[in-house]
Amino acid sequence: MTGRATAGRRLIRWLTTPLPQPPPALRRGPLRPGVFGSRLRSTRLAGQLGVALGLTFGVCFLTGLLSHLMQHPPAGFAWPSRPIGFYRFTQGLHVVTGLASAPLLGAKLWSVYPRLFTWPPVRSIAHAAERAAVGVLVAAALFQVVGGVLNITRWYTPMPFFFTAGHYWVGWLAIGALLVHVGVRLPVTRAALTRSAMSARPGGLSRRGLLTGVAAATGLLTLTTAGQTLRPLSGLALFAPRRPGTGPQGLPVNKTADNAGVRALALNPSYRLTVIGPTRHTDLDLDGLHAMTQHTAELPIACVEGWSATGRWTGVRLRDLVALVGVDPTRATVVAESLETGGRYRTSIVAAPHVRDPLTLVALRLNGEPLHLDHGYPARLIAPNRPGVLQTKWLTSITVREES
Amino acid sequence: MRIVLVIAGVALIVYAAAGAVTDPDVAVGGVLLFLAGVLAVHDIVWMATVLAVGAAITRLVAARHQTVARATAISAATITFVAFPLVLGFGRSPGNPSVLPLPYGRNLALVLLGIAAVTVLIGWRGGREKLKGPAPGINDPRRGSAQEGTPDGGRRRHSWAGCQRRR
Repeated sequence: MTGRATAGRRLIRWLTTPLPQPPPALRRGPLRPGVFGSRLRSTRLAGQLGVALGLTFGVCFLTGLLSHLMQHPPAGFAWPSRPIGFYRFTQGLHVVTGLASAPLLGAKLWSVYPRLFTWPPVRSIAHAAERAAVGVLVAAALFQVVGGVLNITRWYTPMPFFFTAGHYWVGWLAIGALLVHVGVRLPVTRAALTRSAMSARPGGLSRRGLLTGVAAATGLLTLTTAGQTLRPLSGLALFAPRRPGTGPQGLPVNKTADNAGVRALALNPSYRLTVIGPTRHTDLDLDGLHAMTQHTAELPIACVEGWSATGRWTGVRLRDLVALVGVDPTRATVVAESLETGGRYRTSIVAAPHVRDPLTLVALRLNGEPLHLDHGYPARLIAPNRPGVLQTKWLTSITVREES
Repeated sequence: MRIVLVIAGVALIVYAAAGAVTDPDVAVGGVLLFLAGVLAVHDIVWMATVLAVGAAITRLVAARHQTVARATAISAATITFVAFPLVLGFGRSPGNPSVLPLPYGRNLALVLLGIAAVTVLIGWRGGREKLKGPAPGINDPRRGSAQEGTPDGGRRRHSWAGCQRRR
């Protein structure tokens, strides 16, 4: 026990032993003392911006993780089909808070920029590790915000990696580096936040002015983008990459039939939807699908990119199709397959809660018209509380599995 | 508490690194390149620009209007950052008019003009109130006077020193 304590002390001493100072002649340019003179910068300002960023990054991380879990459910992760608009809400929030992070991050990095030029650059091994962790945090935070903006504006060329996977793993990296940063800075920040609150010093007004400016920028950005998911704000959405009412039949499209290479197959008069059960299967042509009981549901298409729009979908209940091949629809999962010949989202799994849900449809009509080709004609899946990319279009088969 | 945060954070960093390396969808080299790229562009190009704008405001704008001018610059920079890829429009898709459907260049010009108009209005009102007597808040005359000393006596000015106050 004593030996271990001694080893621990030795380790701490080794980590915190001052390293030799670099020659003062190297202290040039921004490394010189007093170069950054703005009195706006303070630990309190950095702390306040940090708290706000912690909130937006936390919300972004949780809502992003939720979407990842819904799209790649690990064993035992059950996802309900209600509330209908829950996925829509979380992903709208993900993008709103992600965008709100942009001015906060900009101001935060400005407020701590002189620390990049600390002298000596490295005081000890522990100091070097702390600085490296801050570097990881800053790079990961910029990666998430810049990459996120490029993604919602669909400009992928500057990103030499598959966005979804990169954004996911760097999200973990950012949260990890953030926890380290909070752990290191907690006492200093806490002291700065409480001390200055009691004694306003000259120049405090400008800090408030700066925070007001950042808040105004955040508000303006939110007002001019949130309309891509909040219908009442759509008139103000000057910078929304999507408009809820813009697109064929009043709904935006992510992947067109031509992008997916399915035009000929989808328009082929010999189209059939095959429903495959454990013991038998059945083929339905469009007339056959229309001959079944039709149901109408108001459901959103909600994209992970933060836009969403509600449509009035009409078609056949998925549970009715499941029953057609002799499976109890309250205990079934479904694999929906598209006419597409490739692509990450060619098939999707419909979990039991969504199969059971009477609002889950194989839709044939949208807003009173036959489905537009780009919305998945002849037939598409539409289910409540489900990511848009999993609402499989141009359905060719439905494979029903009985849950044990 | 602090040690728990640090250990949990390091564990998540390790998890992220291991996950990225083992995920067949992740091109690790591409991710690292983009991490380094955004860091370098921000810390060198972007910060130099921000500090230069700050220096310009310090020199060109009267002290009592500086808070408003800075707030304006922050809003304009934020909006431009998000609108920039939309205005460039590389994300447009020929067969899909529902993607990037708006005239973003015109919208950006409109919003920047709006921000400028609000700034001028606030500045003008601030100026009028100033004539009636000192008002609290954005007109605080103490704001522009504070300055930390620099070793070169303030002769040299650098782009990274842009947020220094008027000497």
